[in-house]
Amino acid sequence: MSGLPDDHELRVAEIQTALRAGQVPSATRTRLEAARAGRVPWVATLTPAELRAVRSHGLRPIAAITATCWMHYGWSWTEGHAQGWNAALARLKEEAKAAGANAVLDVKMRTIPLTVEHSMDFTLIGTAVRFEELPPSNDPVVATVPALEFVKLLEADVVATGIAIGAQYDFLSDWTGSTSQTFAGNTETSVLSQFWEHLRQRAHAELRRNAAGTGNGVLAHVNFGQLFKIESNGQPKRFLGRQIVVATTVDAPRPRKPANMPWGPPPWGESKARPAIPHEIGMVVDMCAGRTPLAGRPRHHQSYASNEREGAI
Amino acid sequence: MPNGIPAHARERLKGLRTAAHATGVFTSDFSVNEFLLVRKAGFEPIGLCMGTCVYHVGYQFGSWSKNQELEVLSKAMYHARELAMARMRAEAAAMGADGIVGVKLTIKRLEWDEHLLEFIAIGTGVVHGEGHKGFRAHDGGPFTSDLSGQDFWSLLHSGYRPVEMVMGSCVYHVAHRGVLSGMATVGRNVELENFTSAMYEAREIAVERMQAEAAAAQAEGVVGVDIHEGSHVWKPHVIEFFAIGTAVVPLDQKIAPEQIADPMLVLSVND
Repeated sequence: MSGLPDDHELRVAEIQTALRAGQVPSATRTRLEAARAGRVPWVATLTPAELRAVRSHGLRPIAAITATCWMHYGWSWTEGHAQGWNAALARLKEEAKAAGANAVLDVKMRTIPLTVEHSMDFTLIGTAVRFEELPPSNDPVVATVPALEFVKLLEADVVATGIAIGAQYDFLSDWTGSTSQTFAGNTETSVLSQFWEHLRQRAHAELRRNAAGTGNGVLAHVNFGQLFKIESNGQPKRFLGRQIVVATTVDAPRPRKPANMPWGPPPWGESKARPAIPHEIGMVVDMCAGRTPLAGRPRHHQSYASNEREGAI
Repeated sequence: MPNGIPAHARERLKGLRTAAHATGVFTSDFSVNEFLLVRKAGFEPIGLCMGTCVYHVGYQFGSWSKNQELEVLSKAMYHARELAMARMRAEAAAMGADGIVGVKLTIKRLEWDEHLLEFIAIGTGVVHGEGHKGFRAHDGGPFTSDLSGQDFWSLLHSGYRPVEMVMGSCVYHVAHRGVLSGMATVGRNVELENFTSAMYEAREIAVERMQAEAAAAQAEGVVGVDIHEGSHVWKPHVIEFFAIGTAVVPLDQKIAPEQIADPMLVLSVND
C-alpha cells in the first residue's frame, strides 16, 4: 500500500513548476504563511538553551525551513558546487520571505552520502526567525552559524549574512616532463607548487568577489582541495586540480583607518565605542571529569569532510 | 541585549544594505568565537594567507642494524615546510599584516608518486586595530603562530606575545634486531634498550633544533609544543619526530597587563 497522498503526482508537478519559477511550492507556502500568522505552532531546530538565547535578544522562531538543489555535473564538477549552493540559497531565502523572517539561523549545509552518478544534493536546513521590534525583511540574512553564535555576533554589531563560495579547477599539461623526477635527491616540484598556488589564489579571489555581494568579511572556511594525475596513452602527463572554499559571510562595522600612533593606546583596550564582546571575559577551569560540555560539539556542517589532514602534520 | 539591536545590525536585518564597503572584504578561517576574541584582543583579521609546496623527497636507506638519523629525509621534511611557511608569510607581509594567527600545517601524499608530498600552511593575517607595530616579529615582518584565536587572547593576557612558529625535524631509522638477540629474549620480558635509546636520541635532536630556532628569534620561551611521531611514506623502522610550537617574548612594560587574573574554577554539571 502506498502511503503517498492521492494527489501525489499533482504535488510533484506543482513543486517542479514552482521551483522553476523561483517560487516556494504551494503546500510549503501555505504552511509557512500559517506559521507567520501564528495559526500553527512554531518549529525551530534550536536546542532549549539556544531558544533561551534568542528569546532574550528579542527574536521569535517562526518555522524550520529547508531548500535543496540536486545537481548533475554535466559541465564541471567543481563549478557545480558553487551553482548548487547558490541555487539552494536562493530557494531558502524565498521560504524565509514567505515566513516573514528577518533572518534564518542555525543553517546547516547537508549532503546525503549517496553516490549517484556525477551528481550531488545541496541541502540547507535552518530556522526562520523574526525580530520582534523589526518589520519583516525583503532580503533576509542566512546565518550558517548556530543560534548562540549568531547572538554573540549580534551583540558585537556583526551580522552573519550568508555563504560565499569560491570553486575553481584547472588542468596542467606537463609537456616537458618536469614533474617526472629521475633525480633521487630532495627537490621541490615547482611546476606543481605553482599550479596549486595559482589555482587556490583564483578560488580565494572568487570567494572574495562572491562574499562582497552579502558582506565584508568571511569566517569559518572549508578548504577542499584535490589534485589528480590523469593517465592517457601517448599523451603528456596531465593533472587536474580542484579547489573549493566555502565560508560564512559577515557584515561587520570595520575600524577606522589605524591612527598614526606609533605607541598608541594599550593594545587590547579595544575601541570603547564598539566593544567586540560587551561582556567581561574570564578564564575558567572546568573541574568536570571526563568529557566536558564546555568544550567540543559535533560538526555543524557535514557536506565537506575536510580532506586537509592526512597523517601527522 | 541591554540596549536593543546595535545600529549597524538593525539596518542589515531590516533588509537594508550599505551599498559597498569601503574597507573591502576580509577573508579568514576563524570560527565565530575566534573572530570575537581576536577583536577583543585589539586585532582585526585582514586576509587568509596560504603557502603550498609540492616536494619530491629523496631516497635514503638506513643500514639494517643501525640506529641513525636519515639526514636526506630530515632535510626534506624541514625544507618543504619552511618553503610553505615562507610563502604564507610573504602573502601576509604583502597585505600588510602584523601577524598570522591559527597557522595549520598539513601534509598530504599525492597518490601517483610515493615520493611526492604536498605541504600546506594556512593561517589568518591580522593587523593591530590601532596601528601598533610593536607586535611584529624580531625582523620587522609579521609574527607567525599556530595558536587559535582563543589561545592568542589568553597569551596576551598572560603577558606574552607570539613571535614565530618554530619547528625541528628528525627522521630516524631504528635498527632491526639481529636473529641472535631475538633468540636470547625468548620467554623473557626485557627492555629493548636499543629501541628506547633510538626514541630518546631522535626526539632530542628534533627538540634541540626547535629550540635553536627559538633562540635565533630572540624568544624567551616556546608555548604549545607538540612532538609528533609520524611515518609518511617510509619503511616501518623509519620514524619522523617533529617538534613544533610558538616562540614567545614578554610584552613591553608599557602594554603588559598589571595583574594577571586568576582563572575561576567551575564544575559543569550538565551531561
